[in-house]
Amino acid sequence: MTSTGPRAARPRNTTHSTHRKGSANPMGNTETALKDAMTSIEGTIGVALVDYSSGMALGTLGGGKDLDLSVAAAGNTDVVRAKVRTMELLGLKDEIEDILITLGGQYHLIRLLKSRGHTGLFLYLALDKSRANLAMARHQLRRVEDMLEV
Amino acid sequence: MTAEAEILTELRRLRTRLPQVTGALTASVDGLVLAQDAIDDAESVAALTAAALGVAQRLTHTTGRGAFRELLVQGEDGYAATYAAGSAAVLTLLALPRTNVGRLHLEARRAGARIGELVDGALERLETS
Repeated sequence: MTSTGPRAARPRNTTHSTHRKGSANPMGNTETALKDAMTSIEGTIGVALVDYSSGMALGTLGGGKDLDLSVAAAGNTDVVRAKVRTMELLGLKDEIEDILITLGGQYHLIRLLKSRGHTGLFLYLALDKSRANLAMARHQLRRVEDMLEV
Repeated sequence: MTAEAEILTELRRLRTRLPQVTGALTASVDGLVLAQDAIDDAESVAALTAAALGVAQRLTHTTGRGAFRELLVQGEDGYAATYAAGSAAVLTLLALPRTNVGRLHLEARRAGARIGELVDGALERLETS
């Protein structure tokens, strides 16, 4: 996996609570970034910032009863971990930029954060296929990632 | 099927769904094993669960957090988690360090609710018979 050294030696603590509304997050601008994703990316159903070492969301916005974002955070953590493991087994010395899952009516976009302070996190975006522009959404999600890095 | 067998089925199902869970047990709130799957020295774990539960309940009450729901302890080599299961029992799980805690919570809450129904149902039958 991507982690280096024993878990205990890592300086960052994993957050063991789900901040449903993105409040009281460890990075002050999480909420702003999620809000920006929700409003500026056309067709967004829900968005979450997820720690894939624990499978828990640091912040979520949108979703609702048709899309439980804490379930999505936990489930997509397994998706990311499986892909990381597969690449390791294949001997690919590369990193994942993003993962696209196309459903009948939705796009699910997973973008792994790359900056030093944010390793082990991914942005998860669920889009309504009929309203979304995939190329634009990918581009804008990159911008949301940049917002988190400030 | 007896309640005990059904609880055991539920524990095994949980372990199948989450391979990172290395052991599972259901104990009464006073620390007696009701059913267990792949836990060494389950009696001690159940007794310790009851002790931890006592402290956790006092903590939630004292701080005005309501009834006990769950308790997660992370050691260097993994997790020990306890979830409420109805009024008379708890579900304790042991898990590996790389466990997806989000999924652990989702699956364990569901299993805890189901086991709670089984235990409370069995107790009701005892009282009425």
